[in-house]
Amino acid sequence: MNTPILLEAIGIKKYYGKFAALGGVDLTVRANTVHSVIGPNGAGKTTLFHMLTGTTPVSAGQIMFDGHDVTHEPDYRRVQRGIARSFQVTSLFLSLSVRENLRLAAQGIAPTKAMNCWHEPEGPRSCAETVASVLTKLGLESFATVPAGNLSHGQQRRLEVGMALAARPKAIFLDEPTSGMGIDDLDDMKSFIKSLRDEHTVVLIEHNMSIVMDISDIVTVMQQGRVLAEGLPHEIRGDDRVRAAYLGNMITGGKA
Amino acid sequence: MNIYLLQIINGVGIGMLYFLLAVGLSIVFGLLRFVNFAHGAFYLLGAYFCYQMTRWGLSFWLTLLVVPLAVGAVGWLTEKLMLRHIYATAHEFHILVTVGLALAVQELVILQWGPLGDNVAVPDLLQGVVMWGSFVYPKYRLFVIGFTAVLAVLLWYVLEGTRLGSAVRAGSESTEMVSLLGINVFRIFSLVFALGAATAALAGVLAAPIRGAEPFMGIEALGVAFVVVVVGGMGSFSGALLGGLLIGVVQSVMSTLWPEGARLMIYIAMAAVLLLRPHGLLGRKE
Amino acid sequence: MKKNTHLFMALAVVLIMPLLMHSGSLASEVLIFGLAAMGCNLLLGFTGLLSFGQGIFFGLGSYTLALTLTRWPLPMPLALALAVVMGALGAVIVGWVAIRQKGTYFVMLTLAFAQMFYFIAYTATGLTGGDNGLLDIPRPSITAFGQTLWPLTSPWQFYGFVATIFMAAFWLLLRVSRSTFGRTLLAVRDNEVRAGAIGYNLKLLKLQAFVISGAVTGLAGALHAMMIGIAPLANADYQTSEMILVMTVIGGTGNLFASVLGSAFYLLLADWLSALWPRWLLLLGLVLMAVSLWIQRGLWGLGQTIGARILGKRGQAIVAATVPGREGEQA
Repeated sequence: MNTPILLEAIGIKKYYGKFAALGGVDLTVRANTVHSVIGPNGAGKTTLFHMLTGTTPVSAGQIMFDGHDVTHEPDYRRVQRGIARSFQVTSLFLSLSVRENLRLAAQGIAPTKAMNCWHEPEGPRSCAETVASVLTKLGLESFATVPAGNLSHGQQRRLEVGMALAARPKAIFLDEPTSGMGIDDLDDMKSFIKSLRDEHTVVLIEHNMSIVMDISDIVTVMQQGRVLAEGLPHEIRGDDRVRAAYLGNMITGGKA
Repeated sequence: MNIYLLQIINGVGIGMLYFLLAVGLSIVFGLLRFVNFAHGAFYLLGAYFCYQMTRWGLSFWLTLLVVPLAVGAVGWLTEKLMLRHIYATAHEFHILVTVGLALAVQELVILQWGPLGDNVAVPDLLQGVVMWGSFVYPKYRLFVIGFTAVLAVLLWYVLEGTRLGSAVRAGSESTEMVSLLGINVFRIFSLVFALGAATAALAGVLAAPIRGAEPFMGIEALGVAFVVVVVGGMGSFSGALLGGLLIGVVQSVMSTLWPEGARLMIYIAMAAVLLLRPHGLLGRKE
Repeated sequence: MKKNTHLFMALAVVLIMPLLMHSGSLASEVLIFGLAAMGCNLLLGFTGLLSFGQGIFFGLGSYTLALTLTRWPLPMPLALALAVVMGALGAVIVGWVAIRQKGTYFVMLTLAFAQMFYFIAYTATGLTGGDNGLLDIPRPSITAFGQTLWPLTSPWQFYGFVATIFMAAFWLLLRVSRSTFGRTLLAVRDNEVRAGAIGYNLKLLKLQAFVISGAVTGLAGALHAMMIGIAPLANADYQTSEMILVMTVIGGTGNLFASVLGSAFYLLLADWLSALWPRWLLLLGLVLMAVSLWIQRGLWGLGQTIGARILGKRGQAIVAATVPGREGEQA
């Protein structure tokens, strides 16, 4: 695929004291692709996400998104640039309803409106259209008024993704969106993520190889804080170094 | 005798008491991760139990032993019966339950002993001054410095050299890991909380002959303990020592230069530390 | 109907107190501290910020009103407005600094600031009268074109004045709590990290909450000074901050009307018991412990639970509906 480059990360390093969680990572993500990041545990995948989305600041390196240098921008500023993420460990507003969770996420791209202490977020201010469309896409319409804390694990994982979607982002970062999901939910989630490619760019951390191999356009493999290999799914599948990193038995499943 | 030398020695004496007062608060925060607003109440109880026991004719030396044990038991019960049930809830309620406890204890003290406060006599053995050339200094205050120094060494040994101490230090890093290692974390919580209460009470006992027992000394002590713990580093033993001595000496020296300013300065120091280096001088970065 | 329930409840309290109580001063006090507790609740119940510094803004309000009515005589409405502004300004300063830290460090910062303010108030005797406070604060009547419209001399006349201001402030705060801003604060309280991750500038949100809280608390302080005729040092004390917090927690966090309940509970209990038993604070300490351990939604939550039990399933829905913004929450 040769769509324009949307995200370019150069030489990303992250140190926690003397420990190098990321030792210099380069990543290029093209628009309207599904770009998967895989690797054994401790490879630094989630740390890389934190750097790219601004959750945690980098120790060194540069991040260019959509033509802007966002390296030193905190996470809330990057949301306005068009970056949104979901979390590996579900992080919702548990005491608030599903609809309210999504409204907040949708409102987040125009945060100055959140300073309005006079008007209620009803009617034209309720982001109703976005919320309704996300609810439909996730199949959560009948749970709109349920507090997020009362949802099942699978439903919560879907809402996690929904929170990122509600921001109508250019790039959506999904951190293990299917973790803990049952088989029924898995297939739905797989085709759902694949469908996102039309309107968004998807950067995906996943352990489930059938998903990675089936829907990714590009796969980046990480190990111990660095990029080990990068290429098309079938190339990665056959790569000896990747096999060695995974001890040869993780790359099963999928059609590629 | 040089007045500044005198004030510095006074400061060391006060500082050691501050250390004893604050070390329990600091370790409790390091392990249980919340600030015990009832800590001053344990100090208060220490002073008043000491007063009561000396009124019954018991020796001061006995109170030094018995009172910390008694108040430690109160601390143990507090943790076991009350605090343990709300660890899972929002941290505001941990703080608020101890605020309520402090209030209740203060009122109970006034109920029992009246609102005016009482004096506690310095034990006979330690009355009077030491004279050494031109160096004149009250015996009791020297005793306090010596006694708390010995106690500091003892505490340090417990923390660094015993299995219990290792469990406490490990628990301050990760309670999950400690419990996975098969150690009953809750029992350690109770013990540590009891130890915190006991050391605060001991500080109260030692302070009683110097300044008497008075119902509002708990709130005052709490304020100082907070400053010492913040400046020294929350969760750090040596931080409590350094912080205590620093605050004690500063306060003492300032009392000759600018008395009102002394208290203002220590709270400015507290705010500055919280902003620039929240883990304190010797605390561990989170 | 559902939208205005809380407003009507507040109005009911305001109208019932003169019928049931003897002391106009006590009734005014309930409303005054109700305002202060609401200010505290905006921080604690809505934003998740435990502030021990509310006494700063309360004290600032008292001192400002005293100075503007005695030393540089300004018309009373202007004096009140200035007290509100000073409360807000104090909150900007304290808030801007304190917000830089989170959790326990934030709480300790508010404590440090409260202590600093107390000692400044104690030593700046020129401005604050130090230990004595500022005395002889007048209670000017409301006039227009030289005609006295509303004298404020008797306690119940003053109560009418306080009640009007209270209802206006309550209505405004209710609007704030239901606004986009208020709803965003609830998200900050629930999961601060996620709120930041979905695009909200946490520092700005918290600061605005502080400013509103400071303004309301300053107003309460000013009214208090007018009521008792003094701006005492005690208004800036740790005890005042603690008292406001206690009222807020006992009433119930996250609900503005609950703060009025908390204030009424505290003050009426004090009035009733303190004559019988000087150590009534012991009871209060125990109540605070009980609420923190078992009844964390305070008197309001207790009322909701009892109401739901009595009314049965249909009642549960009605009761749940009286909580703004929390659709679907079980009573």
